[in-house]
Parts: sequence; C-alpha cells; structure tokens
Amino acid sequence: MNRINTTNCRQDARRSSRLLAATVASGFSLCFFVAALSPALAEEQAVWRPAPTERLVKLPGAYLKKAIERDFSESGLADAIGDRDARIALKAKTLADLRDAVDEAEGEVRTELRHQFLAEKREYVKLLGERQELQRKQLRTKIRVYERILRGLERKAPANEATQQLLRKQEEARERLERSTLNVDLKVFGSGVGKESKYSREYQKNLGAIQGLMTALKDHPMNAEAELDGQQVGKKEYVRQLAANAESGMALLDQEDTILGYMAKLVALDAMALAENLDEDLAEELDAEDETMSVSSAIGFFINR
Amino acid sequence: MGTTLKTTFLALAVLALPGAAMAGSLENLERERAILLEAMLTPAVDGGERLDKLAIGKRRLVDLERILLRDKSVVGKNTPQVRKAFENYDLTFLAHASVEKNLSLTDHWLEQVGVSTHSLMSTRVGRR
Repeated sequence: MNRINTTNCRQDARRSSRLLAATVASGFSLCFFVAALSPALAEEQAVWRPAPTERLVKLPGAYLKKAIERDFSESGLADAIGDRDARIALKAKTLADLRDAVDEAEGEVRTELRHQFLAEKREYVKLLGERQELQRKQLRTKIRVYERILRGLERKAPANEATQQLLRKQEEARERLERSTLNVDLKVFGSGVGKESKYSREYQKNLGAIQGLMTALKDHPMNAEAELDGQQVGKKEYVRQLAANAESGMALLDQEDTILGYMAKLVALDAMALAENLDEDLAEELDAEDETMSVSSAIGFFINR
Repeated sequence: MGTTLKTTFLALAVLALPGAAMAGSLENLERERAILLEAMLTPAVDGGERLDKLAIGKRRLVDLERILLRDKSVVGKNTPQVRKAFENYDLTFLAHASVEKNLSLTDHWLEQVGVSTHSLMSTRVGRR
C-alpha cells in the first residue's frame, strides 16, 4: 500500500515536472512573443481608419482632439483595446486570488496552485503585450493623422516670396481703400448727383449680419482657441503639440515593453525554480526509497536470529 | 450640313465652359475702367455728355473697385494680371484714389500717366 502511494507520488511529481518544463519553455517563448507580437496582431480586424484630413483641418483647434478621440472610440481598434483592458482586469483578479490560495495551500495542492499561478502570470503578460501592440497601433495612426493635418495647414500658407509680396500689396490696398471709403461715399454718393448703388446698400446690410454672426462664432465655446498650459495657441502649434504628445506616448510604450520583457523573464525563471524544487523533492524521495531497498538495511534480519 | 453641325457643337462647348461665360471681378473692373477712359478721351462727345458719362462711370467704378478688393478668389492669386493690378493702386483703383487725392477722375488719371498742365503748357507744336 505504501509502495503504491510512493509510485503515485512519483508519477504526480513527474507529471508536474513535465508541466513545469512546458511552462518554462512557454515562459521563454513568451519573451520572444512580446518582442515579435506585431505580425500576429496585424492579422486581427482591430483597425482604425480616421476621418478624411480635409474635414479635420477645418475644425477649430480645441475641437480637433475631441473629434479624433471620438472617431477612434467608434473604431474596431478601440473595441479591441477595451476588450484587452477588461480581460487584463479579470486576469489581475485571478492572479490575486491564486496568490492568496498558494499562501494557504500545502503539499501537492500548493505545487499545483503555484504552477497554475505561473500559467496565469504568463497569460497576463501575454494580454499586456497584446494591449501594448494595439495601443502602439493607435498612437501610430494618431501621429499620421496629426502629420497630415499639419501638412494641410501648411498648404494653406503662402508658398513663395512672390505670393507673400502680392498678399502684402493686397492687404495694403484693402487698408487704403477702407480708409477712403467714407470720404468716397460722401463725395460720390452724398453729393446728390447719384444715389447709393444697390451693391453698396446690400453690402452694408449683409455686413451687419456677417458681423453679428462672426461675433457669435467668436464667442461660441466650441470655437474657442485651443489652450496649452493655460495659454491660447494657434491651431498649427496645438496640432504640433498633440503630435509630440503622441510621440512621447510611443516612447513610453517602448519603455513599458522593456518592463513586459522583464516580467516574462521572471515568469520563466519562476517556472525554472519551481521545476528545480520539484526535481529535488523527487530525487530525495528516490534516495529514500533506494535506502529502504538497500542490502545493508536488511542486515538485521540476518544478525538477530 | 457638316459645317452647321460643327458650329453648333462648338457653340455648345463654349457655353458649357463656366470660366468662359463668367468674368472675374478684376476683368469687370478693367472693362469698366476702359469704357470710362474712352469716355474721358474721345473727341466724339461734347463736354456735358462727357461729364454725365464720367459721373455714371465713377459710381460704377467705386462698386467694382470694392468688389475686387473684397473678392476672396483674388487673394494670393499670383497671376500676371493680378500682380499688375496691385502694383499700382492709383491706376487700378482710380475712383477711390482720385477722391483720396481730392482730384477729379480725369486729372488724377492724367497725373498718373505723366501728363500735367505744366507739361502740356511747355509743349510746342512741331513736325516730326
């Protein structure tokens, strides 16, 4: 009976050892997985195709970021990130429960739970890696969008010196004409020789309406100038800052990749340590068994008649 | 028959071109200014008629000059016509510039092209 129990224990230990060997192998493969995750995820349907840049360029600065965020939240990529977030939260809860269970368990159950804990940690790191890759995809797309918007804004600016010179002259002419408008009205239309033209009358009427609308537009909260550190900035400057923020997000993701790599390595090392412990226990058991079966242990039967 | 058909097609093609049918604010101003200068210089009309024509032309010119300067399609349009128009404000915006300088339209134009009372008085009749 005792021998049967010993054999069962040995089989369990071997099975655990095999499982741990698999965990060690998968732990190491996880390190590579974290590094080479992108091609696998590229196959997924988690994509974000932002709205055309032409439309975004026309939006007020303060609203631009919100529009891009809203566009993203409606994409498959946002769904995928949300899904990973939920799974990561659940996995973290499982890990906490398992850690408590390991602390309370003993013997074979404890070994089994430790193994399960390692497997769950591996899954957790894998999920974190997937989320990292999806977030990288999001940031890359965001940077592309901001760069396109910036190019669009730069296209609106005059291209060469000749055009700028022409614009200056046109501005000067406009100012000069505006200065003389009242005088011209008085002398040409106020002299009694001829009444004000239809264009002039309608223009003044429309101008009043336009000015009223422009004031309303200027005061509209959705048309407010974008702010950076409490200071109002132009649209170009604001978009440049948003692109820089996205770039810094990418840099942080790279750093977090290193953390993930270390986490995966620790999982692999934990698995190796556990396997080593089990092998030692097995070796001790075998040694003990060998001792009971040795020739010298039965010598008493022969000496004491 | 063939010629008639070709002419019809050609006429339809010309009508279909939007740009060809619609003159810009600058073209309108140039045309009106040319008409005004013709009225100013032509010997075919007497003094009273010339003054009437100039008064009507000036009012029309005031509107067209304002339309041109408020025309957004001209802003930064770097074409030879637009460049030339804005190189000399006094000649392009004749009506506004003449009021600004407190001169009659004719006097202002003559001054801009380099003809003054003094230069006319100092000329003498001769044979080339």
